Amino acid sequence: MNRTMHSRPRIKVLSILVGLILTAASACASDAELDTFAPQGAIAEELHSRAVVPVFVIAGLVLIFIGIVLFWLIKKYRVNEYEDDTGWPAQTHGHTPLEWSWTAGFFFTMLVVAALMIWATPTINSTKANAADVVVDGVSILWEPTVVVIGNQWWWEFRYYFNDQVTLESLREIGDAKNLPPADIVTSGQMMIPISEEIELIITSRDVIHSFWIPALNGKRDAVPNRFSPWKIEASERGVYFGQCTEFCGLSHSRMQMQVVALSDEEFQDWINSTTQDAPKLVASDTTVFRGQEVFAGTCTSCHLVEGLNDSTYERADQASEAAPNLTHFANRSTFAGGILNTYNADGSFNRRDMERWLRTPEEVKANYTVPGEQYRGMPNLNLSEQQIDDLVEYLRILGEQPADWIIEATQVE
Amino acid sequence: MTNKHTDQPTGEVENTATNAAGVGIGTSTAADSTAAADVNATATGSSTTDNDSATDTVSDNSANTTGKDVVERPLGVFTRPEGGRGWRDWLSTVDHKKIGILYGVSAMFFFLVGGVEALLIRLQLAAPNGSVLSADVYNQVYTMHGVTMVFLFIMPLAAAFANYFIPLQIGARDVAFPRLNALSFWIWLSGAIFLNTSWIVGGGGADCGWFCYSPNSGVAFSPSHGVDFYAVGLQILGIASLVSAVNLIVTCLNMRAPGMTLMRMPILTWMLLITQFLLLFALPVITVALFLLMFDRLFGAQFFNPDAGADPLLWQHLFWIFGHPEVYIIILPSFGIISEVIPAFSRKPIFGYQFMVASGIAIGFMGWGVWAHHMFVSGIGPLSVAAFSLSTMFIAVPTGVKVLNWLATMWDGKLRFTVAMKFAVATVAMFTIGGLSGVTHSVAPANTQQTDTYYIVAHFHYVIFGGGVLGMFAGIYYWWPKIWGYLLNERLGNWHFWIMLVGFNLTFGPMHILGLQGMSRRIDTYATGYGFEAWNMVSTVGSFLIAFAVLLFLLNVWKSKRGSPYLQPPGPDPWDARTLEWMIPSPPPVHNFDTIPSVHTRDEWWHRKYAENEQGEVVSVVTAEEAAQTGDAKGVHLPSPSFWPLAVAVGFPLIGYGIIFNLWLALVGGLIVLTSLYSWAMEPADNPDTQHDDHDHLQHDDDNAHTEDHDNQDSQDSASESPDDNKDNKQLTVA
Repeated sequence: MNRTMHSRPRIKVLSILVGLILTAASACASDAELDTFAPQGAIAEELHSRAVVPVFVIAGLVLIFIGIVLFWLIKKYRVNEYEDDTGWPAQTHGHTPLEWSWTAGFFFTMLVVAALMIWATPTINSTKANAADVVVDGVSILWEPTVVVIGNQWWWEFRYYFNDQVTLESLREIGDAKNLPPADIVTSGQMMIPISEEIELIITSRDVIHSFWIPALNGKRDAVPNRFSPWKIEASERGVYFGQCTEFCGLSHSRMQMQVVALSDEEFQDWINSTTQDAPKLVASDTTVFRGQEVFAGTCTSCHLVEGLNDSTYERADQASEAAPNLTHFANRSTFAGGILNTYNADGSFNRRDMERWLRTPEEVKANYTVPGEQYRGMPNLNLSEQQIDDLVEYLRILGEQPADWIIEATQVE
Repeated sequence: MTNKHTDQPTGEVENTATNAAGVGIGTSTAADSTAAADVNATATGSSTTDNDSATDTVSDNSANTTGKDVVERPLGVFTRPEGGRGWRDWLSTVDHKKIGILYGVSAMFFFLVGGVEALLIRLQLAAPNGSVLSADVYNQVYTMHGVTMVFLFIMPLAAAFANYFIPLQIGARDVAFPRLNALSFWIWLSGAIFLNTSWIVGGGGADCGWFCYSPNSGVAFSPSHGVDFYAVGLQILGIASLVSAVNLIVTCLNMRAPGMTLMRMPILTWMLLITQFLLLFALPVITVALFLLMFDRLFGAQFFNPDAGADPLLWQHLFWIFGHPEVYIIILPSFGIISEVIPAFSRKPIFGYQFMVASGIAIGFMGWGVWAHHMFVSGIGPLSVAAFSLSTMFIAVPTGVKVLNWLATMWDGKLRFTVAMKFAVATVAMFTIGGLSGVTHSVAPANTQQTDTYYIVAHFHYVIFGGGVLGMFAGIYYWWPKIWGYLLNERLGNWHFWIMLVGFNLTFGPMHILGLQGMSRRIDTYATGYGFEAWNMVSTVGSFLIAFAVLLFLLNVWKSKRGSPYLQPPGPDPWDARTLEWMIPSPPPVHNFDTIPSVHTRDEWWHRKYAENEQGEVVSVVTAEEAAQTGDAKGVHLPSPSFWPLAVAVGFPLIGYGIIFNLWLALVGGLIVLTSLYSWAMEPADNPDTQHDDHDHLQHDDDNAHTEDHDNQDSQDSASESPDDNKDNKQLTVA
């Protein structure tokens, strides 16, 4: 056993490790959409600077200390030619004061970490009593920014209450997410918020446990059926912030994504103005759009709602997971199919290709459980004809206004 | 009691097949009670060691028959098998060493199964939009990877070490209840096979994750039988672990050699004892949860159905009250192993024995108070979160103490970097990384960014693979010569070690980065553009390096075995080690110790070989070869083999299939279990056709380990001893 034979791979491992750490540091500085080290709002920044960074520094220092000691021990006390070495070192059995001292050392290190945790805890649990002025149906309302977030297999619903504002307590009275009061705006996949406002989220689920997470805006919080959990986010800049369901929620867990779009106050007001409107109910004609509406009313409305078209009660919402996204303002959202497909191409044109693929073979885009006639979780294949698909696409693109170009652009992840 | 370790009975040693001849005349002075405390402990004959045959020497009961009076059968129809050769011997063995080997070999098999599942996961994730597996199959594969590695690999591998080495390290001849020990193994194996048959007959594996959160585990959301197999299979495995835990706790507490006080027990035995207590208390909790889940899924109960008002967090609490101690169940045996390996190759005693024991106990206790750190984002309320965050942080204190004590053991030592030592030191290093990343998410606010991302996947693989599996490999290289009588090749072992270490870091190191970049756990694919591509590819390459290293290990086993006849046998104590298992031949004789050693100090074996002079220098007193036992004691009283543990175990999967598919089948399984248990109870303590030498069962080193059933045995024994008991009888031969 000669020395060089062993030290070479050791150095290699060491250099690989160092390389990994350095690259990690640079990779974290990149603009990956879900990067947890790139906070974009007051809450996430506070979380990052008060909890994440300090504890990484402390853990890193301890790691470096132990690493140095370990390598020093190996270097200093290693015996290479031991075959004939029958000698023994002094048989030290321990050193009680020393051992107590490093027990205390770890204890006090952890006390520091504990203090950090206690110091940082209010940042994720406190709420601000803020309010925003919004105009809904011509009436000015002081809105405590709150969005009810509901996880479903495999998409997120966002509900806005302006007139009859809900609170955590009022929803807990109701008890579960299948009997929520009618909201002023119901959307999915993409949550619109005004910038520089702390938005309270009330998170729940209609079926299994999901987890709502926009890394740039805050940590995550689980969406648990029968429970309403408070959470909050805040964005300091206009932009589209990405998220991914992070609690395993069944078959298409990986294809359950969401976005938060932070708008200026004016943009947010415009969005309210347009999305509180019902969808147009087209009169009979021989147009593709009308035929699309007929296909929609005959097929899609057993799960989907378009306000102005079918009844505004949430049809079949009492059955597990059969709720499907409200499509009244489908074209107003730059993402669909649970946040995984873009509604528009980068040039602003309607993304017919993905739309048709989604209608034609949804199971290839996003796996689903289907027991025909009984159970639909995930978008089922409805065996639509090409004609029906063309008609439906034409109909869907008139549901709501096309979003601003910057939103469409920011939705593209490449 | 005459337990002077130096007066070895000298018999026909010399590597000849002494068993064949009728040399086992009579009364061995060595038959020193203790070991065979099973209610049926009997067994007869002369025990000798077949020194030149490394492995599969089978027990050969060159059965008696000659010159023996027909004795009265106390219970008529039932007889005890006598071992026999080959597979019959393995199926009926109650020898803790053979059961340990059975555990180890089966665990390694499932390591390969779980490893293939891991490779499938890594292939799927190697590139964005992976299409190797469908979402459905991916969910099954990652679930079964976790279940297999935890329940079918690490736990049984730890059980292998526990079975093999607890009796050897405390100076006992077997565990307290040898047949129960066999029962544990067979039930475990039947549960393991049952669980994996869901791939064939259950419509796929479980697809709910190893944590199997409700309500996603309900029939509505997981319609195949996979989760049924999970719920029933883990209950079967739980029976095995519970039985084994009780057995090993009793063994540790009651079967220690004279003078082996608790605070003289080797650290490995200590850590395994703590592990058994954790198992004893943790498994009932998961069993309750699985039982409820089983009723939900198969019999229409509503325990976890939110529509019927259930709180989904109930499952999480039940699961993690089991699940977090489970982490320590996995890691403490490995801590124990490296606490033996590092002192042996540092040529120093463990630094701060008391602190090592106390920190292990502290981890065992504190491990019960941290479960909700798996639920920081589940909405359990800020006060609970803060409390569990604090308890989680402070479990780092005893763990950190252990790390520094290992380092202090190396300090001023003469470090011999054998493969075992390399694995042990790597365990310390990799576990330190895993432990410290654990500290980063003990801070609940920071945890909200990290939980359920690949950062957690990285963390627990550094703990479980880095801290657990690497430590187990240290143990495998360290004790291999003891178990099999030949050394593993150090050169191939070096390749194995370095490729595994590099592969491990390439696989799991990048996952830290992926997690911090926001990659969620349990996703079957990811899109381009999030910065995940490069690191996932690195990780996949690393996973294949690990697989290659495992193949090198298997190659090493094969080559070393093949080369072993041409090498000097390692002898009883190849590493100049410190604990009792090294004072007996390698491989150990079936009766372990010719005479039960009297223990006067910690590291008893080392102190028999060496002393310290007034200057504190170590002086050799006697060589290992001189001090070691020869393993040729005759007439050691040992428990008889039995087929009933296997028969009982066969019934459990049938009950499982029955519960899932057709209750009549469960009835058949239940009848098999009951009949076998009845037969077990009725089985005579001795084979009435054989007699045995003096068992001097009244000479116990302490009056423990012998339940009142022993009285039974005594009476049976006396009944079976005919007055003209002529003592010359049969040999029981020995591997």
